[in-house]
Amino acid sequence: MDPLTEGHALFTRRQFFGRSALGLGTAALSSLLSRDGLFAAPPSRRGVPGLPELPHFAPKAKRVIYLFQNGAPSHVDLFDYKPALKQWHGRQIPDAVVGGKRFSTMTGDQAERPVLGEITQFAQHGQSGAWISSFLPRTAEIADELCFVKSMHTESVNHAPGITYFLTGSEMAGRPSMGAWLSYGLGSENEDLPSFVVMTSRDKEASCGQIFYDFYWGSGFLPSKYQGAAFRGSGDPVLYLSNPPGMSREVRRGLLDDLAHLNEIKREDFGDPEITTRIAAYEMAYRMQTSVPELTDFSQESASVLDMYGPDVRRQGSFAYNCLMARRLAERGVRFIQVMHAGWDQHRNLNSQLKIQCDDTDAPSAALIRDLKQRGLLEDTLVIWGGEFGRTPFLQGKIDDVKNWGRDHHPYAFSLWMAGGGVKPGMSYGATDEFGFNAVDRRVHVHDFQATVMHLLGINHERLTYKFQGRNFRLTDVHGHVVRDILS
Amino acid sequence: MFGRIGGLHLFLGLQLLVALWVSLPAGRSAEAPIHFNRQVLPILSDACFHCHGPDSATRHADLRLDEREGLFRSKNGVSVVVPGSVEESDLYQRLISPHEDEIMPPPESVRRLKADEIAILKKWIEQGAPWSSHWAFTPPVRPEVPVSPSGALQARERTPIDAFVFARLAEQGLAPSPEAGRAELLRRVALDLTGVPPTPEEVDAFLADPSPDAYERQVDRLLASPRYGQRWAWDWLDLARYADTNGFQGDPERTMWPWRDWVVDALNANMPYDQFSIEQLAGDLLPDATVGQRIASGFNRNTMFNGEGGRIPEETRVENVFDRVETTGTVWMGLTFSCARCHDHKFDPIKHTDYFSMYDIFNQMSETGAPPNGRPGQVPPLLELPTPAEALAVQVARERVAVIAKDVEERERALFPRAADAPLAAAPSAQALPGKLPQNFAAVAPSERSVSALNEAIAHFKGASQPEYVGALERLVQAARERDDALRQVTRVMIMDEIENRRETVVLTRGNYEARTTTRVEGAVPEVFRSTSTPAGRMNRLDLARWLVSAENPLGARTAVNRAWQAFFGVGFVKTAEDFGVQSEAPSHPELLDWLSTEYVRSGWDTKALHRLIVTSSVYRQSSRVAPALLEKDPENRLLARGTRHRLPSWMLRDQALAAAGLLVERSGGPGVLPYQPAGIWEEATFGVKKYVQGRGEDLYRRSLYVFWRRIVGPTSFFDSGTRQVCTVKVARTNTPMHALVTLNDPAFVEAARVLAQRVLVESARDDASRIDRIYRLALARSVRADELRILGARLATLRTQYGADSAAARLLASSGEAPRPSELDPIEHAAWTALCALVLNLDETLCKE
Repeated sequence: MDPLTEGHALFTRRQFFGRSALGLGTAALSSLLSRDGLFAAPPSRRGVPGLPELPHFAPKAKRVIYLFQNGAPSHVDLFDYKPALKQWHGRQIPDAVVGGKRFSTMTGDQAERPVLGEITQFAQHGQSGAWISSFLPRTAEIADELCFVKSMHTESVNHAPGITYFLTGSEMAGRPSMGAWLSYGLGSENEDLPSFVVMTSRDKEASCGQIFYDFYWGSGFLPSKYQGAAFRGSGDPVLYLSNPPGMSREVRRGLLDDLAHLNEIKREDFGDPEITTRIAAYEMAYRMQTSVPELTDFSQESASVLDMYGPDVRRQGSFAYNCLMARRLAERGVRFIQVMHAGWDQHRNLNSQLKIQCDDTDAPSAALIRDLKQRGLLEDTLVIWGGEFGRTPFLQGKIDDVKNWGRDHHPYAFSLWMAGGGVKPGMSYGATDEFGFNAVDRRVHVHDFQATVMHLLGINHERLTYKFQGRNFRLTDVHGHVVRDILS
Repeated sequence: MFGRIGGLHLFLGLQLLVALWVSLPAGRSAEAPIHFNRQVLPILSDACFHCHGPDSATRHADLRLDEREGLFRSKNGVSVVVPGSVEESDLYQRLISPHEDEIMPPPESVRRLKADEIAILKKWIEQGAPWSSHWAFTPPVRPEVPVSPSGALQARERTPIDAFVFARLAEQGLAPSPEAGRAELLRRVALDLTGVPPTPEEVDAFLADPSPDAYERQVDRLLASPRYGQRWAWDWLDLARYADTNGFQGDPERTMWPWRDWVVDALNANMPYDQFSIEQLAGDLLPDATVGQRIASGFNRNTMFNGEGGRIPEETRVENVFDRVETTGTVWMGLTFSCARCHDHKFDPIKHTDYFSMYDIFNQMSETGAPPNGRPGQVPPLLELPTPAEALAVQVARERVAVIAKDVEERERALFPRAADAPLAAAPSAQALPGKLPQNFAAVAPSERSVSALNEAIAHFKGASQPEYVGALERLVQAARERDDALRQVTRVMIMDEIENRRETVVLTRGNYEARTTTRVEGAVPEVFRSTSTPAGRMNRLDLARWLVSAENPLGARTAVNRAWQAFFGVGFVKTAEDFGVQSEAPSHPELLDWLSTEYVRSGWDTKALHRLIVTSSVYRQSSRVAPALLEKDPENRLLARGTRHRLPSWMLRDQALAAAGLLVERSGGPGVLPYQPAGIWEEATFGVKKYVQGRGEDLYRRSLYVFWRRIVGPTSFFDSGTRQVCTVKVARTNTPMHALVTLNDPAFVEAARVLAQRVLVESARDDASRIDRIYRLALARSVRADELRILGARLATLRTQYGADSAAARLLASSGEAPRPSELDPIEHAAWTALCALVLNLDETLCKE
């Protein structure tokens, strides 16, 4: 059988017509159901199996919500408190610290590299005493749920390669992304929704033009059914989800019944099992036409929950909206939910833009953690918050031009946080030097981070491979060590 | 393979023996010979080469098992493989060793050999351990065409293809399927050769043609159709990563469609594949290169181009060179060069230095990696392609500028006295002009001044009250503006070039553009392919292009033939079309692959002849109906005991629907068009920078080939297509609900159903049955059967009731899309038929080639 269609093809004619009778079948039954609103009943949890050998061991997390912060949030202004920065403010950063490292062309040729003190106030929060910026008050309130990794490092100095590295394990586009690997390996827990969903948002002022490339959620050489389904920020969340104007659900049902019937006749005549898969795909498309609108219908959410995510939660395409959607997708068993927010690339507008990005993302991120926790979902949902690299502890721009202060791309040290699904809460792991310039203690590379995520999902990252062009490829290339100290 | 070693008789004898063994009951001890290349080498490669292979950096115990010398080495009393003796063969003993410190692969590696793999190695040693190098690295030798084992099969053989495939089937105790029905066959071959289904009239004419070569004449008609080039260009565009934008941030537009049109024309003209290859790889370097040859060289300008702010240009330049090396390696050599970018290849004999020797060849063009100002998508070098009218317009505009400039010049001599030959800038008063005027205006000859410099001057001299001079300058700026407008009309396409002083190329550590080593390399093909007849000295692109389609390259014809086979049969002889290396899957029909490859070269790389040979074979003409027993035996149809049945490429589905509706516009060439697309796709992907302004009229119905391809977010109507970001030679064919939503709800398909409905309502007889039949004939190239008619007739009645009860919905559906609609049609009737047509356009049979 074509490996591209495994799973669905295991669907026999009897199952198909059996299922028809149970809820999807005749036009009459379906119209009755839709009139009674029964399609709004709890979504089905039929799954699609993954690889038989997976998981390799008992998983701590069943799904992942990755709150990816495109553009690279400034670690030294948000999480990595370094008193030395204020002391050295305005003075040239020591050459010994910089060590001839490369930077983007924006500061690569800049003669002066004065240290820039943090533009926020840091304080310790929670039992764990985590240092968090005053720009992130809601995140500070849930400090004890979070595990900060402060010793991240990467090789990329540009956005697209840096993000691609985090999400696919390679800086060059074209490898499968993490969500595709996990869908391929672990399958789906909900047949009515894609197992890998992507949602994107950006800062309201569009201060930076970071683009969301489809290879951030591509399936690379894995079958394309594993690629992320990008839910759109306006209109139908799934492309071509709505029936055309003038075609009711009832008419559609009737057409699909005959389509299945005629295809079934064809299958009996021609014997091609792929036809059965085709029938199943059309039926799932039909089910998605209700499961997706049901998913995006927030009318049953309580006011307190909506308030927690903030006023933007009602605006489709906002980060807050996407965070609530992430929770709803997690509830429905979607394996990998990639929420991407662009707007963190403050080269020349740190003083104006950093606060705005924090305002957009702080409350929704914290609300998501609280919301998952109150529903008992945090236990087996891994939430990740972070960008593709950090920002320079030294200034981009001129020290007396306060309005245009900025920080350049910085791959040598940065922070991210994780929560839930098998990660130790209330912990800070690893450390940078006194300038936050180099990760020095218990360094965590991108591939180590990826190996750890895979581990939490019950996967030995060295053993989830796919043969392509004669080589067994994996997410972590030939690298990666699980960061065991942060596992709960 | 056996054929090469022992000649035809040995080859056939062995094949027959194999067939006999297969049919013998289990328990008889006759042992099938183990085939080193197909059975042993893959195991060694997969389990051992990582530490005992081509990569010198990770090699252990200085032992190479990828070369004959290492595999049969005897050192310090230890022999790796001793033919005939598993006891003395350390390789085997290490596999079965009970001791942790001896066993191979070592326990810490994840790889474990399975029992049947160990058994194969054991048998191979016992049988005398015959060795040969990997098949793909040796040039194909034309095998003898097998003689058919049975008279019945012989009667069905039309081409040597049939002889090879039937022989293999007989070996497996299988027989070919009967020939497909004529209408089915015509639809199959029309879609394969032209991407457009046959019309009912074409089917009728074929069915009524009693001549023995009726089918062949249909094939010739299709091969001669301009649609042929448009269909086959698609696969080449996927492989060439063609797109109409650069990709990456900003995703600026570029003009590469003249290259795309060149490909279509070359395919239609049946340009020999060697020439087709040379012109695309190095057309610019050919002596007295024509415009066409220079356009062709744009093949390697189809790379993405990262002009992101802050990007280091050299990094972009180096990455583009990598892409060119790797694309060339994939397309013409079937090898995965990317591994060798960072280190010696782990499995194939491609060294890190080999990679950079290829890199040197592509490292010699003028692209700097920096995006140009103004038009960031069009990265030089560029070729201007004016039409005769455009060239004339530019000439006329320039002449007009010259006349006025002469007048301006004379006035300036009077106003700014200076020596007879001196420019305006020499006059002291001109040097005292304000702003940028001294350098941008005074220092530039009047005919060459820019519009902005002239405007600045006009503003200045107006204040200085010199009305007549200002009047002359105003005439000049007007003429300059017209000249610039005329120049802007001229199409410019990105092409390749070669710098005069070639760059020195050094190996880059792990492919990092900054990590330059001191190891110098010069243009050359990988060492493993070099022979005494390989051109000596530093190769350039033209040398490489010629080598790639020479007899020296064992993979030039094989990769091309394999891709053609993949297009017709859904999967190539080598399933991994992108990789023919040691880790590739063994070819399903190695002898046929080599026969076709040598035949292709013998025919003068005649691509249409190759395609004709394939589609006129009996193998191709088989029915795709499959019985359960055969399905179980060969689920993937690798042995070809039946015809191919699979979903059509998404772009072909769109063309097919448009053709059935009579909407398809077949005008060829020109800039990409913007058909229906849900609102906001580009805007969301580019933060509103790129606005999708949907085309009108013909633009909505052009062939899919001509749809504008924005690289960061491709056209939404197509799925399972190459992303056009990197070279793609293998097609994806998945079956997901998202795809069903496209053909159900994409306005292009809904409109096609609506127009197909009105076509049958207007064109055909008044009874429902003949109209339904007409729909089937337009969409499926066959008549409707009685059982289908019953189902569809009942559905039509229901639809009439449903739309009769909801005339508002009927009017909406009956007016889908922008194509005109006869106002006299009853909307309820039209809507019911539209829904019915949508059903037919979504039938599995419609979606599939069968």
